[in-house]
Amino acid sequence: MGNDWIELAENARSRSDVYGLLSAVFRHEPSEILIRKMRSVSVLGTFTGLGVDLGDRFYNDLVSEVVEELAIEYTRLFIGPGPHVSPHESIFDQAEDGMGGLWGAKTVEVKKFIQATGLEYGNDFNGLPDHISVELEFMQKLTGWEADKWLQKDRESAEYCLLVQHKFLQQHLLSWVDQFCDAVIDQAETPFYGVMAELTKQFMEYERQAIVTDTAA
Amino acid sequence: MKKLNRRNFMKLAAGGGGALAAGLGFSQGALAGSIKLQAGGRDFSPTTNKELQAIPTACWQCVTRDAMIGYVEDGRVVKLEGHPDSIRTLGKLCAKGQAGVNHVYFPDRILYPMLRVGKRGEHKWKRISWDEALDLMASKLKPLLDAGTPELFMYQYGRHKGSQSSIMHDFMNAFGSQTIGTHTSVCEGPKWVGQESLWGGMYDNWDYDHTDFVVNFGSNQFETHTNHIPTSQRLIRAMVDRNVPLYTFDVRLSNTAAKSTEWIPINVGKDGLVMLAMVNVIMNEKLFRRDHLKYMRVSPDYHASDDEKIAAIKKHVEKFTPEFAEKESGVPADKIRQIARGYAKAKSACLIGYRGTVMHYHGADQERAAMLLSAITNNLDRKGGRVMGVGAGWKAPHSPKAKLQKSLDIVNGFPGEAAFPTHQCSQQNLPMIKDGQNGRPKVYWSSCNNQAFINGNNNEAEAILKDEGLIPFYVNTNIVYDETSQYADLILPDVTYLERWDTEDMVSPTGVAEYYIRQPLIKPLGEARDQGEVFAGLAKRLGIELAYSSKEDYVRQSCEMTPGVKEAGGFEYMKKHGVWHDKNAKPNFGFYEAKVDVSGDGVILDEKTGVYWNYKQAGVSESEARSKGYLGVDGAKDAYVAQDIAGTPRKAYPPNTSFVKSGLLDFYSDNFAAKGFPPFPTYTPIPEHQKMAKDDLHLTTYKVAVHTHSRTSHCKWLSEIKHDNPAWINSKTAAARGIKDGDRIKVANELGEITTTAHVTEGIIPGIIAISHHLGRQHSGIYGSGKSSPTPGGAAADPDAKNMWWDKHGIHPNTIIPNSSDPISGGQRWMDTVVKVAKV
Repeated sequence: MGNDWIELAENARSRSDVYGLLSAVFRHEPSEILIRKMRSVSVLGTFTGLGVDLGDRFYNDLVSEVVEELAIEYTRLFIGPGPHVSPHESIFDQAEDGMGGLWGAKTVEVKKFIQATGLEYGNDFNGLPDHISVELEFMQKLTGWEADKWLQKDRESAEYCLLVQHKFLQQHLLSWVDQFCDAVIDQAETPFYGVMAELTKQFMEYERQAIVTDTAA
Repeated sequence: MKKLNRRNFMKLAAGGGGALAAGLGFSQGALAGSIKLQAGGRDFSPTTNKELQAIPTACWQCVTRDAMIGYVEDGRVVKLEGHPDSIRTLGKLCAKGQAGVNHVYFPDRILYPMLRVGKRGEHKWKRISWDEALDLMASKLKPLLDAGTPELFMYQYGRHKGSQSSIMHDFMNAFGSQTIGTHTSVCEGPKWVGQESLWGGMYDNWDYDHTDFVVNFGSNQFETHTNHIPTSQRLIRAMVDRNVPLYTFDVRLSNTAAKSTEWIPINVGKDGLVMLAMVNVIMNEKLFRRDHLKYMRVSPDYHASDDEKIAAIKKHVEKFTPEFAEKESGVPADKIRQIARGYAKAKSACLIGYRGTVMHYHGADQERAAMLLSAITNNLDRKGGRVMGVGAGWKAPHSPKAKLQKSLDIVNGFPGEAAFPTHQCSQQNLPMIKDGQNGRPKVYWSSCNNQAFINGNNNEAEAILKDEGLIPFYVNTNIVYDETSQYADLILPDVTYLERWDTEDMVSPTGVAEYYIRQPLIKPLGEARDQGEVFAGLAKRLGIELAYSSKEDYVRQSCEMTPGVKEAGGFEYMKKHGVWHDKNAKPNFGFYEAKVDVSGDGVILDEKTGVYWNYKQAGVSESEARSKGYLGVDGAKDAYVAQDIAGTPRKAYPPNTSFVKSGLLDFYSDNFAAKGFPPFPTYTPIPEHQKMAKDDLHLTTYKVAVHTHSRTSHCKWLSEIKHDNPAWINSKTAAARGIKDGDRIKVANELGEITTTAHVTEGIIPGIIAISHHLGRQHSGIYGSGKSSPTPGGAAADPDAKNMWWDKHGIHPNTIIPNSSDPISGGQRWMDTVVKVAKV
């Protein structure tokens, strides 16, 4: 790992921003602000470059209509009632001991892991501790912290943070995110969440290659 | 999509960063605080040292509501067991109770407020915030207050007990609507009404700890009783330790019947007749005891002597000979005599009766026959006998009541349908709304009440709920998407009972009240919210003042103001120990014998009835009181003081219900006579059964040990045990129709037909078919209905669903049972339905 502190910090910050975006996408139904931002020229350009297509209606319908449609899609996909993709790690845990399901053993592991870093679940947060958006937000915060450490030229802390990220990714996020994304892609009825799931999958693969390999070396 | 490389990753990051900078329009993240990683510092790896908590709380699977201990490991409820210090349960908990864990974590649980966005029943929803949900509700309720029509807000509840009930009534009082629907009439209403007409506002329990003989009519005591764990274990103990005999009359060889000393098969609807035949034997063989006669009224004369009463009772039951009863009931006359003699000669004896006895035409009268049998043997409220239930008397904070209190007359059935619907006629609530003659609510809110499943004629109920013209705004509070919530406009996510506060008060089989509380084992999952908190949120928006800030505060105040609990340490004591009872208290046997001081100002003796009452308290002058008499003054029963018993004023049985009566047990009831019903317990054939064609069968329903009526089929541990309910049919009845065990059969009547499987058995009498009533769910999650409701699909939300080895989910008999009421009590006549059965 080089000594270009700015580049190291920018890289970490960029990762943090992508984690933040994806966390926001899965945390809540989209807001009008998010839709407008995603329709903006800069993001559109990025998406086009990536071959991401959110469909004509996403860009042409009234923002309020898009928001309403995606709110219904979000509820159907992630909340129910009915068959839905429960966005929690413990649901995807293939534990044979019956400790899977809502608030399973993995939920507790994730909660403890996060709290061991000094973070707490906010009083206003009513979701479960291992929600996909929480794990992405956790990575957002870790990578943001790492960026700060690079800027402070605190290599020891930054590299230690990378180790923490590595462990979290290996033990948690990477262990289920592909399955989750595949399920979303399979069940999405409008392009938005299918595309976001594909994007998440791609990014996590990028992380697997770039970060896990890097820290392992 | 292209593979992500460093170049387009950086672009994506720029877009993401920009979006984040724009705020994205959402409030804040899930995580607060700051990262405090220290190189070489603390070990963040998950530890194996698990935190284990044992928290006293209370069950709520069924009405028994056992005190229990919940074990929480790392924030997850892992086990429930009976509370060892409970004098009611003695540390036991049934299978249903232990499976309570499933409620919290089942995969199809509703965790967020949901707004309907499609047509009713289209299953199209959008998550909304609690603020949006409460604002929406307030926007519908406020105009009702402003217009002076609070009664157009109807609250419909099922299992609300203890503080869950009192806090709801407090809110409705504060709002001003008394349009409140219950469910008791589909459960046990006739039992209540029969007993209220005699001894007052409480139902019976049984002192199995001291009894010598038990006769059971139509109660599945060992599987599903209303006070199951506290009473069943005591009855079993009596049988095993003291050789107490148990005789069970039932149409079906229930597990209770199987564990009895003897199962006595009996024809449908004949329990009361056999009881009267037992009375006949006991009176004619002079096996009765005189002790209770002085507290009984058995003819119009309030002052009849004991001998006159004996003669009157004999006369009343003269025609109900054991031979007549045998002809009607199928129970051999000699068997009736044998059991009657054993029952009467036993030092003490319990007579049990439940749905098999009372959920019939004139079911309330059958309960009165059960009370008669208990009274003439002096087994009423005596040690070892049928005793008046004793529960905790919690105090609770009261909010200011609205000045305007109004109600729609839609909860007591159609005009003339029931004479004494003191526990309502809730099976007709939706049909009354459809009918509209007594008005319709504009806002209809139901909680813990699956109307489209638990009543009869389910198809009609669904059609009514679906019709926005009949119910303009419907809110459903629930933990699971079910047959009723599918038609809601707004679904509110309820907490499970393992996530909430309550005071509890179920009756104690020891005769000493047990005070106990329910406290949350964990923080509610998702955005699930207790009704008590919802009331508080609504009150704030409606400008209504409540006496509490939260449900916890309500329970706290109750603990601090309830005598006994308060002195023991109040809320903190209850949180720590869960249960409390007065260790110096004794059972209240023979309470009716207590002498009463009648020297108080305004107390006079009513010569006609022998009642001492306080005319001043009744708000009339002495001259008016004396001229009109106790029975002639409205509200005089509320000023009751005592009953003259052979020259001594005694407490007797105060008229503390809506029945106007003296302090005597009204076995001769003016209330009944005035409404055209038999004033003395009698046998009234069931009209439908008198008109049966030769190939018609009776349809009866029953409960099993591992399910409640409508709230447990999503519990996987329970549905794994019981997920199918083939119809029980006697081998002779089956053979006559060419039906063999396992054949598919059609059960039909004028309401429609259902198809099920035949369970051909000798364990049921000929001429009937019996189907349990918990299963056959349209929706109840993957474990209850086989699909993650409402549409077919996988069970992605629970990895354990792949272990679900069963694919049967049973059938629901209520779709072909009409909503039909006992004309006395308004109770749903579950057991009077007539059907035709044929092989498919």
